[in-house]
Amino acid sequence: MAGRVIVITSGKGGVGKTTTSANIGTALAKEGYKVVLIDTDLGLRNLDLLLGLENRIVYTIVDVIEERCKLKQALVKDKKNPNLQLLAAAQTRDKSAVNAEQLKEICDILKEKNDFVLVDCPAGIEQGFQNAVAGANEAIVVTTPEMSAIRDADRIIGLLGPKEEIKSTKLLLNRVRPSLIKSNEMMSVDDVVEILACPLIGIIPEDTGIITSTNKGEPIVNDEKALAGQAYRNVAQRILGEEVPFLDLDEPKGFVAKIKNVFAKLKAKV
Amino acid sequence: MGLFTDFYNTVAKFFRPQEEQLESDPSKSVATNRLKLVLMQDRTNLTPKVLEQMRGEMIELLSKYLEMDKDMLELNFEQEGDQVALMLSIPVIRAKDEEEIEAAMNSDAEESEENDENFEEDEANEEADIEDSTEEDKPKKRRSKKVTPPEEMNNNSEEEHHEEQQEVFENVEG
Repeated sequence: MAGRVIVITSGKGGVGKTTTSANIGTALAKEGYKVVLIDTDLGLRNLDLLLGLENRIVYTIVDVIEERCKLKQALVKDKKNPNLQLLAAAQTRDKSAVNAEQLKEICDILKEKNDFVLVDCPAGIEQGFQNAVAGANEAIVVTTPEMSAIRDADRIIGLLGPKEEIKSTKLLLNRVRPSLIKSNEMMSVDDVVEILACPLIGIIPEDTGIITSTNKGEPIVNDEKALAGQAYRNVAQRILGEEVPFLDLDEPKGFVAKIKNVFAKLKAKV
Repeated sequence: MGLFTDFYNTVAKFFRPQEEQLESDPSKSVATNRLKLVLMQDRTNLTPKVLEQMRGEMIELLSKYLEMDKDMLELNFEQEGDQVALMLSIPVIRAKDEEEIEAAMNSDAEESEENDENFEEDEANEEADIEDSTEEDKPKKRRSKKVTPPEEMNNNSEEEHHEEQQEVFENVEG
């Protein structure tokens, strides 16, 4: 049976597409599934950095398309998990080096021998986006609870809608800060879902651990204690069809916050 | 320094946890409202001017039948897949009774097919027993409406729309 091809996209840059790709890919591979990550951000490749594979890349997707190597040669195995492979973007070329049919062809070949092909889409809605989406059957739209990111996500959802090959589009809300939501300074999960009218596949809390994990080139799903890691593992479970409840981010953590919470509840009762 | 101010803020918040939340400007709702407006325009390619005109005309139309909280009218476009749906939400204070509706109909010169369809449905529901007579009545009502087109009213309402439009522009910019 052919695997699933999922594109991870957002419209706006910097909302966490690449981090999401790396983490979902790693989480699925940890579950024992064969996963290929494709970085389609030609000229601005980063997925290799997040996975800590930057020194192992010999061939890129452009080399495959221009037939300088075989597809198999360009796939770089993850350090820890051989189930996970990366097809890196070319750093010295731009988006015009690849077209949609070529990318679709690569996806079609890869999905035959893998359970999941995750396509990390570049920011924007131009050629790069069209390329990344071409071979996909599912989409995960990453956004944050900020106006510009939501507007761009809406645009992307609108562009994905008419594409017949995309059977499902799900929303992943990244960098959620419960403390700001509580003080009414950030849109809540419900607000965003209502505005975008798109089913949710995950809520990822803002986590400083993401920075250190990027520094180390190790996805945060490998950190069993990190909340964001847990949230990404849950996303992977949902992709696999499990029903996992969303993390409860409302309860404040820490001693002071807990006492404050008790007082707040008492006050609410009065 | 940062550590100290953090600590101070934590302590300070501890003593006034709820009031602060209520007092602070809910920037979230500002964002939500601005976003809803801008997305509506993005999704439909309708300009704020056209939207406001649409809103005004809808209020005008519905006012004939319902007394409602006009300021709370919410016009929204929701997207599901490749379909865009128009969502209209208005708090209804009360439905007008038949006499008021008729009075509004008579004083109003504007004629659109939609109005008539609604009117027919209302009438048909309320007076289902005497279907025959209503069918004969209706054409007369229509004719009487066509005869009296008060142009002044049209002009007035257009001016009103203009003012509202400007308000919307300001909101968008702010």
